[in-house]
Formats: sequence, C-alpha cells, structure tokens
Amino acid sequence: MAWMKRAHSIYRLLFRREKVEAELDAEVNSYFDTLAERHMERGMSPEDARRAARVQFEGPEQVKEKVREVRVGTMIDATLKDVRYALRMLRKNPGFLAVAVCSLAIGIGATSAIYSIADAMLLRPLPVPHASEVIAITPVSDQPFSALNLVSYPDYKEFRDRNRTFEGLAASSYSFFGFAPNRDTLPRMKFGMVVSGNFFQVLGVEPTLGRGFRPEEDQAVGRDAVAVLSHDLWVSEYDAKRSVIGEKVWLNGIEFTIIGVASESFTGTDQFLRPALYVPLAMSPALTNTNNLDQRQVRWLSLKARLKPGMGIPQAQADLSAIAGVLRKTYPNIDGNLRVKVESQFEYQLHYSPPTMAFAVMLGILALCVLLVACANVAGLLLSRASARAREIAVRLAIGAGRISLVRQLLIENLLVAILGGAAGLSFAFAMVKFFNSLPLPTDIPIKFAVQLDSRVLLFTAIVAIASTFLFGLSPALRSTRPELVPALKAIDAVTFKRRPLWGRNLMVSAQVALSLALLTISGVMVQGFGVQLAQGPGFRTNHLFLMSLNTTLVRYTDAQKKLFFEQLLEKTRLAPGVKSAALASAVPLAIGNSPIGIVPERHQLPRGQESISVFHSVVSDGYFETMGVTIVKGRSFLESDRQNTTPVAVVNEQLARHYWPGQNPIGKRFHLRNANGPWVQIAGVARATKVLSITEAPLDFVYLPLAQNPQPQMTLIAESKSPDATTLAPVLRHTVQQIDRNMPVFDVRSMADLYENRAVKTPNMMASIVAILGFMGLILTIVGLYGLVAYSVSRRTREIGIRMAIGADRKSVSRMVLKQGFVLGIAGVSVGLVIGILACRAIASSAFMSLGNPGIKPFVAVSLLLILTTMGATYLPARRASHIDPMQALRDE
Amino acid sequence: MAKQAELLQGTLDLLILRTLELRPLHGVGISERIEQVTRGVFVVGPGSLFPALHRLAEKGWIEGEWSELEGKRRVKTYVLTASGRAQLAAEKRNWQKVFTAMNRALAEEF
Repeated sequence: MAWMKRAHSIYRLLFRREKVEAELDAEVNSYFDTLAERHMERGMSPEDARRAARVQFEGPEQVKEKVREVRVGTMIDATLKDVRYALRMLRKNPGFLAVAVCSLAIGIGATSAIYSIADAMLLRPLPVPHASEVIAITPVSDQPFSALNLVSYPDYKEFRDRNRTFEGLAASSYSFFGFAPNRDTLPRMKFGMVVSGNFFQVLGVEPTLGRGFRPEEDQAVGRDAVAVLSHDLWVSEYDAKRSVIGEKVWLNGIEFTIIGVASESFTGTDQFLRPALYVPLAMSPALTNTNNLDQRQVRWLSLKARLKPGMGIPQAQADLSAIAGVLRKTYPNIDGNLRVKVESQFEYQLHYSPPTMAFAVMLGILALCVLLVACANVAGLLLSRASARAREIAVRLAIGAGRISLVRQLLIENLLVAILGGAAGLSFAFAMVKFFNSLPLPTDIPIKFAVQLDSRVLLFTAIVAIASTFLFGLSPALRSTRPELVPALKAIDAVTFKRRPLWGRNLMVSAQVALSLALLTISGVMVQGFGVQLAQGPGFRTNHLFLMSLNTTLVRYTDAQKKLFFEQLLEKTRLAPGVKSAALASAVPLAIGNSPIGIVPERHQLPRGQESISVFHSVVSDGYFETMGVTIVKGRSFLESDRQNTTPVAVVNEQLARHYWPGQNPIGKRFHLRNANGPWVQIAGVARATKVLSITEAPLDFVYLPLAQNPQPQMTLIAESKSPDATTLAPVLRHTVQQIDRNMPVFDVRSMADLYENRAVKTPNMMASIVAILGFMGLILTIVGLYGLVAYSVSRRTREIGIRMAIGADRKSVSRMVLKQGFVLGIAGVSVGLVIGILACRAIASSAFMSLGNPGIKPFVAVSLLLILTTMGATYLPARRASHIDPMQALRDE
Repeated sequence: MAKQAELLQGTLDLLILRTLELRPLHGVGISERIEQVTRGVFVVGPGSLFPALHRLAEKGWIEGEWSELEGKRRVKTYVLTASGRAQLAAEKRNWQKVFTAMNRALAEEF
C-alpha cells in the first residue's frame, strides 16, 4: 500500500490548498485555546483568559499570512533547487543527455511533421466561424472520392427549400475564369468558384471589405454581375487598395462589379484548392454559354450546410433522406437512384481522396512506431540511469530526503530532457515541413499543400514530449526511490540480488528491433515496388511531348465555335514547324483533372441501388494514341471518320475489357454512357492500360471517347516534337493559339517529361524516402537502445565476469557470452519483425491504391541480415569491454 | 525578568529542533519549553513560531500530527523526523563552531 500513500501525498501537494487552509485555521484556533486554557489554569476567569490570549496572539490573520508566505517560498525554493540540481546532473552525463534528447527529437520531430501533413490533408477544420456546425452533403455513389459526388441545381433547390434542419444550405462549383482587370488586357486564367447567393452567409464569412452576396443575387439568371475577391487576389492584383469596391473586372469577357473582398482566413471550402474569386451561380450560364441551372441530370454542385442550433447529423440525415425519397418518386428517370449522405466536414475530408488518406494513415502509424521506439530508448536510458544512481538515491533517502521530493527531483530531470527533446524535435519537424512545402505541384490551379506548424501542432508536440517522458520517466523514478537501502548502500546492485532479470528492457529492445525491421521492410518493398513500376513505365510516351491547356469557356464560345476552334487548333498545330504529331485530350494521364464517368456494360447486372459503374475517362481527338504512344492491342483507334452523326464509339483499356467481357472479344460490345438511359456506345478498340492517377496504382478501368462525338469546353493540346527537347515547342504552340484567337488564355503549359518527373517519379520517391527515413531513424534508435542495454548489463555484471575470468574463462568466451545476449535479442526482434513486416506489406498490397507487385523474398532477407549485423555491431563494443575486464580489479572494486 | 534577547537568524530553527529532539510537543508546548530552558531570554510568540514550524515541516525535518489532548480538544503535535535529526546534528556542530569562534574572538579583547 506504500504507493497509495505516496500517491496521496502527491495529490495533496497539488490539490490540497483548501484542506491545508482549513488545517491551518484549526491549528491557529487550537493554539489560541491552549493559551487561554493555560491562563485559566493560573486562575483567570474564562473571559480574562481569552483576552490575555488574544493580546499574546498578535493577530491570527497576520500569522496565517506569514505561514502562507513561508510555504510558497519554500516550494519555489525547492523547485528552483531541483532545477539547478537537475541541470548539474544532466551536465555531468552529456552522453545520456545527447542520446535521450536525440531520441526524443527524432521521435517527436517525425510525429509532429507527419501530424502536420495529416493536418493539412485531413484534420484541419474549415476556416469559418463555428466550423463544427458546417456539414457536407454528398450523393451516394460507387466511386469513393467524395469531392466528385455532386448534385444538380434543381435538386439543390429542393434540398435548400424543403429541409427543416439547416440554418442554410449553400451550393458551389469550381470554375476557371478568364480574368482581366481592364477591358483591353489579355485575360489570364484564374481559378474560382460559382456559389449560391447564401454562400457567405451560410459559412459565416465576414468580408474584409464591402459585402458578400445576397440570396437574391442568384435568383435571376445573368442579372447580377457581381464578384467577391479572395484576400489573396486582392493583395496580389490590387495591392490591397480599399478603393477596389465598385471597380469593374472582366471575367470571360463579361463586365463584373467587385462588391467585396473575403476575409483573409477564408481560403475556400476545400483543404487543397484556393479559389481566387467568387461569382453568383446565376451568372454561370452567361459565363459558360451553357445553362445548367435547369438541368436536373447535370450534377455539378457540392453542398455545404450549417445546422440549426440543437440539430445534429442524424436529424439532418433523416430530413434529407426524406427529401431524396420524394425526388426519387417524382423524377424516377433522373433521380431514381438518388441517395444522399450527410457527414461532418471531417468525414468529408476523410473520403476526399482515399489514396491520400491511405498514405496519410500509413505514415501516421509508422511515425508512431518511431515515436514508440524513441520512447523505449529514453525509458531504457532512464531505467539504467536510475539503477546506476541507486546508491546516490539510497544515500539521500537514508539521510531523510522525502520520497516525494526525490520523485519530484527525478521528474524535473525528465521534464528538462523532454523540453530539450521537444525543442529539438520541433526544429526537426519545422525543417521537414519546409521540405514538404517546397515540393512543387505541377499545375496552374492554385493548389496549396499548406503544411504548417500552427498552435495545434505545437500543442501536439508539447503533449507528446511531456507525456512520453512522464510515462517512461515516472516508473523508473518510483522504482528507484524504493530500493532496498542496505544492499544499495553496500554498492551492490539491488536489482541483481533480487534476481529480477531485465525482462522489461529485453522486451523493449526486442520490440525496437522488430519495429525497425518492419519499417525497413515496408520501405524496402516500397522502394523495390516503385522501382519496378518506374521501370515498366506508365504505358505512354513521356518524352518529346509538350502540353498546353485551353478552355473555350473563358472566351464564351458557342458549341459550334468550340468545335471549330479545336479542329483548327489541331490542324494548325500539326502543320507548325518542329511538330511531329499532335492530339487533344480532356484529361492527361497522371495530371490533375482525371475524373470518372458512369457506364453500364450491356448484360451486366448492377448491384441494387447503383445506377452505373464509374470508370476514369478521357475525351480524345483522333491521333491521340499515336501521339501518346499508347498501343492499341485490338481493333482500331479513333479516326477522322468518327463524326457526330456516325455510331458512337469508344476505346477501352485491357483492364476494363477483361473485367466486363472476360475471355470474349470486346470489339463490337456495347455499353450505356452515364446510366441505363444513356446512349449506347460501341467498343471499337482496346488500348493497353496506362497509369491514370499515380505510378503506383494497380491498373484501373479506363474509357476513351472521341472528341467529335463528345464536345468538350476544355482540352489539353499534346504535341510531339521532332527535336528531343520538347520545350522548344512552347513558343510555337502559343503562336498557333494566338493566330486563331488572340484572347484565348492558355494554362498548364509544360512538357510531359516535367509532368512525369513531378507526378510519377518525385511523388513515389518522396513517399518511399519518407518511409525509409522513418525506418532508418528507427534503426539508429534501436542501435542506441541495444548498445545501451548490453553496455549496462556488462557494467552490472562486471563482478560476475571477474569471477568467471578468475576461475578460468578466457577473453573469447566472455565476449562470446556478451555477444550472445545481443544476438538472442536481435533474433527475437527479427523474427517478430518479419511477421509484422510481412503482414504490413500484405495489407499495403491489398489496398487498391498501391500496387507494389510481388515483393519476393529479397527485401525481407536483406533487411533481416542488415538488422542482425547491426545488432551484432551494437553489442561488439560492450563485448570487447567485457573481455578486457581485469578480474583482480573487478573483484577488488567493492 | 531579563530583557528578551533578539533571536539570531536561524537560531529559532535550531531551538525548535532541539526542543523536539526530547519529545513531540504541540505549538504552545514548544513556546513554553523554549522560554523555560532559556530562562525567559527567548520568548517565541505565534507570529514567529508558526512560520518557523511550517518552514521546518516543508523541509521535511519535522512532521505535524493531530492528536487528542486529554480527550478534550485536538491539537497538532510536532515530531522530529529522521532527516530533522540529521539536520539537528549538523546545526549543533555548526553552532559549536560559531560559539567557540565567537567566544575566542570576544576573549581576545581582554
């Protein structure tokens, strides 16, 4: 029960204020009563006695105040003394300090850096007031990217007007704008949002300047040409001048009036995309020349709502499900399968991009492993230090030091280590975050991977630092203040004589070996997998190609103009100097902007409630497969003869053909486009699968559609150069575009080699190197931990080894004995680690987003050997020291 | 009655520890005992006694315990701890040194 008493005293120390005050009162009263009693014993009357006592007692309040001062003073004194003492002890042991601080720095740094990445990707709440009330509404579909599940405008209106659970429901859609601050300047492409009139009200965004939209401003189509600028755009384009309100701006050639500037903190409703400006939804028909506002089948809006006070997600879900039920009945042909999901913004962010999420979770787990290894190291160090200091502590206990003060003393030492480790860890994390932010994203869309160390990250670091040292420091501290005094004073290791083997530390070191083996095998398998994938290539040409994107919406073309423009562009580009071939595509593989489309293969039974299968797609011109170097394995590619009025055709990739027509010839097979009511499309050819989103993915189903049959507003021009340096085409292509339309803005201008390098090579290399860095950090920590353990046990066994040598053991057998200890620990760790590593690699391989192929046995063998060798290396030094023990010296040293 | 002497800095602590060395006492007891053994030279009122007692308790040299006084009232009795005993021994030695040194210094004059 000793620990209970101790815990009670610590509790009193921290929370006893009121109790102590009461006790002081009682003590003063009792003193007073005793004085009075004494006077009465000398024959005074009770009243006289009390009066005399009062005179003697110079004001009880002053006395109490003095006592309080004394108490606070001694506590501060004691703490300062402890801190000074702790600093002295730490200075005396620079090795311990260095190892402990480095271990913590690595563990905490890695965890904080990973946390800030996870924060940037998933955790950070929306930058709006009372963000927890804002929820996301997405239709349920089979494709897992929440950002791609959208709602039509007529359906939005029903949800907005019929719901009873929201303060307001806002809709928005991303859009490109040809932005010109003056009528005659060349428009530049800006990325912005078209939003419902209540958007700023629902989100609670207060404008820096001017005002947000009013609900009536998205009522009449094309009436209110007003725009709200983002704070960033206001600063970069208008030098933050306040007279900007009321100024005109030309978007896609239409004159808009600037009515407001959003607040600086509001960066949009997405953690990656940063819109530069906002316009009302009712302006989108004018801006794009297509009116989607009355099209129930066109789903293009994402919805955010603010809950009424007292309403929760379940109520909102029930409410919206009921509305969706009505829509299903009223519009069975369009909304027959409509189901909506109400989720918090956090859940929405989790579903935003499953591959990113999977990677973030994996990194998080690995970083935690590193932190665990680091903490195990510090704990091990503290334990062995505690044992080494057993004598000092025993002496201090013997001369009457209180246990609480000793524990406090040890904890203060730990806290100092934690503070130093935390500070070092933070600078380390800061460096890593800087590195992440320096990685360029290859697109003109203002995507910001805003990794930052904010107050929440700092708090996280502080908690990790303090919790880890206290957790691992308290038990050694308590244990070392409870030694058997006699043996400790006799300078004999108390623990040895209690025959307590070092189970805890052995286990910790083995676990460290196991964890770092697992980390290293995972990174080994990843590196090997990426290597294989990169060697196999993405399935398309990556050199000699130059890319340039164009959006006809930005200059408000009619459908006929669009068609003509792209035809002219292709024709002129093919004739331009230095161009070998050219094609157009709505989505370039590995670039940002690949999106899925629904298909329903003929005679394919869809699961209940699902209206189509989503597959990634690209709308391409004739000549695409030739320019991109994608092999057609069966049938034909698109031809100029595929026109608007001929049979709708498609090229699918092998993966899709195998998926839906296994063992059959897919040529001539049909599918419905979009949903079961969509047009029939006939498969004309089968192409070899290419990578779509990342180089590491398993082959995805893919559909190519001909541009002539599927007009698009935005296309990317892909030109193959004759010279090896594709960038020489840049001025040629710009000139070609200008010849057709001087006002057409171009964006995402870059070579395919550059895109491939950034998206395919750098990203997976970065992932693999992060995992590898974590693995090596784990390994270094493990070596330190193992070395510490073995060295400690050798120092403890000095006497035993001395006896062994005195009775005839030679140096070799002694060093063999020590090496064996490290070897056993290493092997135990390696075997457990192999199991973990194999399971982890299986888990990674089974997630569809990371196809690493069959890793084979090589990485496992290599990493196991590496670890066994390092464990042997870490034990070698202590073993050598053991074999150089002088038996006479060891036995005399008592 | 002799004039009350001013207490030297630190002397009170030594006096309290010494008083408690013989047996545990409550506050009034300590004060009376000091007055008695120093023949009234030192009179320790609650104003200096209380802070001193609490300071010594914080340092862990003495411990206060509540006990019944002749079955009537509860009083707080102070006991010397092991470390208090060690401290007392140290202070006694120190005092001896100071005492001899002072005496020698003063004796020189004659």
